[in-house]
Order: sequence, then structure tokens, then C-alpha cells
Amino acid sequence: MNREYKTGEIQAGKPVQQVPWLEWLAAGIGLFLVLGIFGVIGWQALNGATVPPVITVTVENVTPVEGGYRVLFRAQNTAGEAAAQVEVEGKVSTDSGEEVSQVVIDYVPGHSDRRGGLFFTRDPSSGTLAVRAIGFADP
Amino acid sequence: MTSERYAIGLARAFGGAIIFGLPLLMTMEMWSLGFSMGRGRLLLLVGFTLAVLVGLSYFSGFEKTFSLKEDAMDAFAAFGVGVITSTLLLVALAVITFDMSWGDIIGRIALQSVPASVGAMLGRKQLGAEQDMQAEEERKQEAGYAGELFLMLAGALFLAFNMAPTEEMILIAFQMTPWHALALGVLSMLLLHVFVYSIGFSGQESRPEGGTFLSTFLRFTLAGYGIALLVSLYVLWSFGRTDGVAVAEIANMLVVLGFPASLGAATARLVV
Repeated sequence: MNREYKTGEIQAGKPVQQVPWLEWLAAGIGLFLVLGIFGVIGWQALNGATVPPVITVTVENVTPVEGGYRVLFRAQNTAGEAAAQVEVEGKVSTDSGEEVSQVVIDYVPGHSDRRGGLFFTRDPSSGTLAVRAIGFADP
Repeated sequence: MTSERYAIGLARAFGGAIIFGLPLLMTMEMWSLGFSMGRGRLLLLVGFTLAVLVGLSYFSGFEKTFSLKEDAMDAFAAFGVGVITSTLLLVALAVITFDMSWGDIIGRIALQSVPASVGAMLGRKQLGAEQDMQAEEERKQEAGYAGELFLMLAGALFLAFNMAPTEEMILIAFQMTPWHALALGVLSMLLLHVFVYSIGFSGQESRPEGGTFLSTFLRFTLAGYGIALLVSLYVLWSFGRTDGVAVAEIANMLVVLGFPASLGAATARLVV
């Protein structure tokens, strides 16, 4: 590629001396960000990004609210692959019967967690409370 | 070229990154694709974008370039602008919060920085008042047929990328009959040809000397549509839309996404 001829009047001295410091800075920051992003994504690629989702749900808080009880939970995906439409089901079993509530979480990315809540009319502390993920779809 | 002038170019680049990146910043599928698409495919996509940025810098960067080194520096600077803009806006829109995992955050930023960094590169041309149109035209002349094809590729990539993440691309492909698909393919080629050669947009290509309709059609329109389809296939594959899908359905999707892609290819000269 012959680019010299039309740059003659601007490019009087050595081209290296004409690169302004701000250009070096901008290009340097860009290069740094490229390497950083490649590093993180590459690391993920090599560290089990293709392991199918494993989702564990832990109950974080149970509070009496108007009309019943609110159970806050955290769904944690301990594997690398993201899960979509994760269905979480909670069951309160008491002597007088059971109550089931469920919710769908749109996405739980790999090695990440998402929070949600379930409502019950029975008091979870009066019996046993079990909350678990019952299924997911590939994104 | 002084630092002050370069700073003005950078400011325009930020403007371009915001404006051209905005539609996808506010597209839900982009957020989930950021963490759910294949890591290898995401890396490849970012690398491919960098290569396209180097090429775009040659034709129209935010400053005049004189060597491959400067084109590469411009490409990195544009990518940096894209990453910074995407990060700030994704945080402002609460798409990124700091209780997310690093892989999640970086994935979202990396994917979003693809359109934003192309926008940054185009920012100077679109938002700048004084442009060296003559130098640009000279370069386009000089680069010849290969340069023409590259510009079509860049235009197709940009527009196809703006549509491909949405569910609608697949939905449209599912609800079309083969006749719809054939009609859309013909319409895409027709518009590509008309946009490039007939209706007098600025930056329009003049029909090559002594070229007949047929040779122009084969060399530019058909080649352009081919590029649009390949770019569509690449983008759909990147997003995992083609995984486990029958060839016939993929062909439908290609025609659907090939429509915006071919318009992008046709108007690349206006934008770039």
C-alpha cells in the first residue's frame, strides 16, 4: 500500500514524533481493556464454562407480611453454564397440610446468584420449609 | 496533529459510541447473551470486531492515519472508548450491578462494546464538521474492489448485529413460508442494487466504465448479497441461534437477517 504520496505535506518529519501523547494514552488504555477482557473470557472458557448448570437454593429470610409470610431466597449456580427459566418451588409442610408456592427466574448465569421471594399463607416456622430449584432450560 | 485535535476526535468517538450503541444497550437479549453465549465465540467476535475496526480506521477513523501501526492504535482507542461507554451506561441502566460475578459483568461489557466501538469509529465521520472527504474518496478509489467488499462487510456486520440478538429474527423465520423467504431474498438483492447504483445517495458508486448491467450485478450486487448472507450466518452462529437447527430453518433465518445485512452493505458508503 502506497500511502506516502498524499501525506507529504503533513508528514514532514519522522512520523513517530508526530503521534500526540493523548493518542498513545487512548490506544494504551484500549489495548489494556482488550487484554483484560480477553483474559477474563479466556479464563472462563478454560475453567468449566461448559459444565451444565447446578442450582442450589438457600433461604435467607422469613418474615410475616400482610396476608401471610414472605420467604426470601438465593439461587446459586455453582457450574459454568447459564440456566434460563429456572423454576424454584417452596413447600411448607405442617400438621394441617402442605402449601406449595413457585416462581420462575429468567436467568441464573454461571458462577452467579439471583435472589427472589415466595409467599405463603401458612407460617413456615410452624412446620418444615423446603425450597429447591425444580428445573431449567438452556438459554 | 496535536493532542487537542485528537481530544476533539476522541470526544466525537464517545458521541458515536453512545448514539450507535444505544439501540443494543437497551435490548434485553444483549444482556443475557453477554453471559450465556459460548465463551470461545465471544472471544472470536471481539477479535473479529478489532480486525474490522483496523480496516474502518483506514477508510474513516477519528483521525487521518498513515500506517498500519496507527490504524491499529486507532482500533484499540475506539475499542477502549466502546468499553468505557458501555460500562458507564450499563451501570447507569442497572444492567450491571456490583453483586454480579466478574464473568457475568465482563461478558455483558464485551458484547456491548462490539456495536459501541464501531460507533466510536464512525463517530468522527458522522459527528465531525470538517471532514477530509477528498482523502476518504481517494482511499476508497485506491483500495479498489477488495476495499469495496470490505466496506460492504463492515456495513452488513453493523446492521445485522443490531437485529440479530432479538428473538424476532427467529420468530419471523418460523412464521414465513418458503415463498415469503424467496420474495424477501429477491427484494434484498433488488434494494441492494438500487441503493448502490441508482438513486443518487451521496457517496453512491458510479457504474464502472464500460460495465454492463449484468457485470455490475454479478460483481457488486451478488457479491454484496453473498457477503450479507455470510455475515448473517456468522452473527447467528455467534449467538448460538443455529445450534441444533435444521438446515432449511437456518436458510430462512439467513434470508431474514440478510435483509438488514444487505441494506447495511448497500449503505456502508454513506455511513463509513
